[in-house]
Amino acid sequence: MVSKEEQNLATTFQFEARLTQASLIKKILEAIKDLVTDANFDCSAEGLSLQAMDSSHVSLVSMVLHAQGFEMFRCQRAVSLGINLASLTKILKCAGNDDSITLRADDKGDKAEFVFESQTQDRLSEFELKLMDIDSEHLGIPDTKYSAVVEMPSSEYRRICSDLGVMGDTVRISVSKESVKFQVDGDIGKGSVCLHPSSVVDKPTEVVKISLEEPVDMIFSIRYLNFFAKAAPLSDTVTLSLSKDFPLQVEFKFGEQMGYLRYYLAPKID
Amino acid sequence: MDSSASPVEDDIIQESLEYESEKQEIAEAVEGSNFEYLFLSYARTNNPLGTQQGRNLCILQLDLDFEIVERDQFLKDSSSAAVVRIYGVTESGSSVLVRVHGFRPFFFINCPVNFDPVDLPTLKGCLEKRARELTSVHKCQGPVVRDLEVFEGRSLLYFVPNDPAVQYLKITVALPTHIRQLAQLLERGDVDFGRYERTRYLTFEASVDFLLRFMIETNMYGCSWIELPSDKCQFPKKQTSHMQFEVDIHYTDLICHPPHGEWLRTAPIRILSFDIECAGRPGVFPEPEHDQVIQIANYLTETGKSEPIARTVLTLGSCAPIAGARVVSFNSESELLEAWVSFLAVTDPDILTGYNIVNFDLPYLLNRANVLRLSTFPFLGRLIGIRTKMQDTRLSSSAFGTHESKSFTMNGRVIVDMLQILVRDYKLRSYSLNSVSFEFLGEQKEDVHHSIITELFHGNENTRRRLAVYCLKDAYLPQRLMEKLMSLTNYMELARVSGIPLAWLLSRGHMIKVVSLLHRKGFAEGLLIPDMKNAGHNSGEEGESYEGATVIEPKRGFYNMPIATLDFASLYPSIMMAHNICYSTFVRKSDVQYLKPEDYIRSPSGDCFVRPTIRKGVLSKILEDLLSARKIAKKELAEATDPFLRSVLNGRQLALKISANAVYGFTGASRGKLPCTEISASITAFGRQMIETTKSLVESKFPSSEVIYGDTDSVMVKFRDELTLEESMALGQQAADIISQSFPKPIKLEFEKCYFPYLLIQKKRYAGLLWTKTQTYDKMDCKGIETVRRDNCKLVANVISKVLEKLLIERDVQGAIDFVKRTISDLLQNKVDISLLVVSKELSKAAADYDANQAHVTLYKKLYQRDAGSAPSLGDRIPYVTIKGRKDQPAHERAEDPIYVLEHNLPLDTEYYLKNMLRKPLERIFRPIIGDKVSSLFEGEHTRSITVTTPSTGGIMRFTKVSVSCLGCRTPIPQSENEQPLCKYCKANEASIYEKILGNVREYERQYAMLWTQCQRCMGSICQDVLCSNSDCPIFYRRRKVQKDLQDASKQFQRFAIHSSPPAW
Repeated sequence: MVSKEEQNLATTFQFEARLTQASLIKKILEAIKDLVTDANFDCSAEGLSLQAMDSSHVSLVSMVLHAQGFEMFRCQRAVSLGINLASLTKILKCAGNDDSITLRADDKGDKAEFVFESQTQDRLSEFELKLMDIDSEHLGIPDTKYSAVVEMPSSEYRRICSDLGVMGDTVRISVSKESVKFQVDGDIGKGSVCLHPSSVVDKPTEVVKISLEEPVDMIFSIRYLNFFAKAAPLSDTVTLSLSKDFPLQVEFKFGEQMGYLRYYLAPKID
Repeated sequence: MDSSASPVEDDIIQESLEYESEKQEIAEAVEGSNFEYLFLSYARTNNPLGTQQGRNLCILQLDLDFEIVERDQFLKDSSSAAVVRIYGVTESGSSVLVRVHGFRPFFFINCPVNFDPVDLPTLKGCLEKRARELTSVHKCQGPVVRDLEVFEGRSLLYFVPNDPAVQYLKITVALPTHIRQLAQLLERGDVDFGRYERTRYLTFEASVDFLLRFMIETNMYGCSWIELPSDKCQFPKKQTSHMQFEVDIHYTDLICHPPHGEWLRTAPIRILSFDIECAGRPGVFPEPEHDQVIQIANYLTETGKSEPIARTVLTLGSCAPIAGARVVSFNSESELLEAWVSFLAVTDPDILTGYNIVNFDLPYLLNRANVLRLSTFPFLGRLIGIRTKMQDTRLSSSAFGTHESKSFTMNGRVIVDMLQILVRDYKLRSYSLNSVSFEFLGEQKEDVHHSIITELFHGNENTRRRLAVYCLKDAYLPQRLMEKLMSLTNYMELARVSGIPLAWLLSRGHMIKVVSLLHRKGFAEGLLIPDMKNAGHNSGEEGESYEGATVIEPKRGFYNMPIATLDFASLYPSIMMAHNICYSTFVRKSDVQYLKPEDYIRSPSGDCFVRPTIRKGVLSKILEDLLSARKIAKKELAEATDPFLRSVLNGRQLALKISANAVYGFTGASRGKLPCTEISASITAFGRQMIETTKSLVESKFPSSEVIYGDTDSVMVKFRDELTLEESMALGQQAADIISQSFPKPIKLEFEKCYFPYLLIQKKRYAGLLWTKTQTYDKMDCKGIETVRRDNCKLVANVISKVLEKLLIERDVQGAIDFVKRTISDLLQNKVDISLLVVSKELSKAAADYDANQAHVTLYKKLYQRDAGSAPSLGDRIPYVTIKGRKDQPAHERAEDPIYVLEHNLPLDTEYYLKNMLRKPLERIFRPIIGDKVSSLFEGEHTRSITVTTPSTGGIMRFTKVSVSCLGCRTPIPQSENEQPLCKYCKANEASIYEKILGNVREYERQYAMLWTQCQRCMGSICQDVLCSNSDCPIFYRRRKVQKDLQDASKQFQRFAIHSSPPAW
């Protein structure tokens, strides 16, 4: 027997949300599509989230968009939207950066609707994406208190990764009270970049901050750090959190209250 | 299971009673090192030969060799001579060694200019004098040059106008080795013939093997019957061999029966198949320097007997009894090995077989005996006191490729390694005994990895029994294979047809067969075969290439109408016969002008051959003999009822066909004995012309018909669009008859079959339903399609053959499309059996020697790092599957061991399998049928359900925690409601979801139980653990996979917090 309530739900959308800036979603997608090909977008009353391992299961992506960050957010019941990221990218190409974007899904779970509206409201485009049925487990990294947390400009992070990437495969990150040091040792030679915490705070976005419980010294794959650098356009600053024998967390925040994109990368054993 | 249990038990009880009394005897014999006594019951029965009663002795010859004696006591001659030893069996199964005396080898040279026969004695003296200067002939007793005479004949190569007979000198020498030495001197012009001018001589037939020379001279064929008149036989006083009888005879008294009529029968041949087990150290493949031989299993049969003579396993240390086999235990390895030598001597097998005995078992035994300093061991042959020596050999053959292997001096025992036979005659995915037995016998076999063997050996008598059973099975299977594939019968017939000893068929290439035929025929016709310089061992220089066969450009498509196929029967042999193409009819370009135009034929490639009226070619005669013999054999086969005779006759007609086809190859082999590219080029040129002629004739005589494809010796004809099978067959027959008339005899175009429907993909790739009669189709015939290729995973072969079945047999295009979609959907959801995705490649050289990155090599390095011990070794086939990796990671780095993948639940790169393996072959098949819609096979609804597996290993996995999600709709369940199986929305459907998951668990349990039972059945025991790790067996993978699935399903099930019994594994 189908209850009345359920009948009502079936006719309207289970999930509907509007974001003023399509560019945010576009940038998020750019930042994860090299690591993940298909993923479930979990929609619940709290917001929209995604958690997925990259295909070689070395790193993990975790993205959260809080409900309060949306212009409008309505979720009648939790749903998982299985999306092929390459297909979604194709659809998002049709949205202007300043368009607003509305995402809708019904409870049949076989398609999702995207509506793009220009700022001047004179252009409205609608797209429908066929959803996938992705059978996967929900994975997460438990929250922890990190020994060292480094905050730095995203552009700086991106530059270090691309500079050192040409030298070798792995980077040693050592954090002390005075500095954070990135060292690479490759076939053609070696190199390092050392950042000191900024003493003068001119622009808050160019600040390097280190908060330390105890010094750490760990090795990571540069290739993956470079994959993470694709998220730099999402935020001016990036936070690297490290603890011995624990994955590195690289976090990009989408402004206050909006949400974040986090990457976790397993350390290499020396 | 229950019904079979009691008889087995009875068996065991009975066996153990016998065993008790036997055990005592065995123990006593072993104690006294009286090993021969142990096996006396297996010896050949003593049947008198009957020569005393004046009966002639008839022997089936199986092997021959020769020895050099300093003086021949039989001939009462005190000069060095070669004595040919023939090893054979009488009709009653007695083994006889025949020593044949008096035959001297010879060769020919051209006569010196202005030769006068009066000078023969002088020349002989000169030659003898020069020969004596060679250090290598010093030991020779008596003269080296035994005879020098004039021989009137012709050279095989070139027809010379007017066909004059030419004088040659026939030089007979004392020993086989002298031939080469004297021929070299003469070729260099290094002999002073007194008044004759010093010159380089042309030699003829100097390269013929001594034994072949002997066989040609006595008209003896391989595996043929020889008759020894009773009054000519001499029986030596002293026995020099393990054979039952020994006879001496002069070679001219030998009667050799060509294999025809009553001489087609065979004698009881003893075949021993054996297998050894070694106790390796953990992680290293056994090495004779360190590792013991712990068991040798023997399976001895005699042809014509349904029961084996012996099933015996020799073990080191105690071993529990085995029903139906005899176990003999030894306390030391040396005793074990010595006992085996006694076993060989007593049982006296004619043929030794096994699986990879040539490159593993025999070398291992010999090397091990050497390490143990067992001076009594290496006497495995049939002659007393002749040591078995091992040599590395390298066989380079255009047909078989280059193989390195070992050869043994086993005087009189023919080694027929089933692995070598299979590699030669069959193209298989894998040559492991497991997969071969599955392929041909339909049986899986338990595979105990060599690292477990030591463990079992060090256990107790029951674990050793287990090993012994396994070892016996490995000895038994090669014989089963030999029987099933009729390898021995077929090879014996091949030896008979081509006239060479049985052992040569395996140790030499294709060419030796033609060499033998050519020499035999040439000898009968007075034609001498010139020795080609550098022939045979040409260093890398390739002969000139010539144009091969023609291919009529295929008109691709799916033909839903009968397509008639017209074939030229035995194309190349019939061309050679029709146009009299031969070495002996080939006219030099400069000589053509002296011939009348009606006396020769010019081939399309421009070379001339005289007509048969002038001289009939030797090759034509050989081919005529072979083909008419085949016709007779086929006729007899049709009439024969006795299954054994039928298998012999079938083997014979096959051997005749193989030999006839080898003749063409012989003329073109640039590294062969007598290459002549003009001949092979002429043959292919005629072939090309004939295909073209056929095409135009068909299309002109049958309006509206169309030749859609043609290759080498066949054309495919579409007569009309609307045509029944019957009409098409009638037209095909008519066309074949009409067109045959336009070609010279014996070239014949035959209509044999129709394809209906027919799918023509591209040249050399097609599939069709084959009809030879109108009632039912014969089979589905596929050429060059992935069903048979080895470099793919099984999934591809399975899908393709199923698709073809649906398209061609059921004619259900939609069904085929649905099937493909379903398979793709299963693949993406990880529901496909992993064993279907395994590709395996052989690690043929050390990993460092590979230039390019290949998947199996990269994986080998990975495995080696993981555990050097269990890593595969050189020559192993490495199975692998492709797993997901980084976006930019090359495929070879993503190869992984299938078992490791199963154990760690690694995600398979299903996309890769879809795009790189399935897509192309499927597109090829479907494009002619559904056109551009093929892409719809790979996109759409069915590709939208995927499964992302969570591995249990790898970088980040150590740190992640699985958060609970709803079993109904997969949405995450908030922390607060932890431990709930369902989200609040799905709660309403709890009962049905519960039922579904319970059903899953039940289904996996059922499957697991079934697979486990299957493995127990294969293992032959229900009381022991299944140890098998047979990576060729699909059951093995499925068992592992279901085990995993069952664990996962039970875990889900337990979330409902209803207590179920703990899992059964």
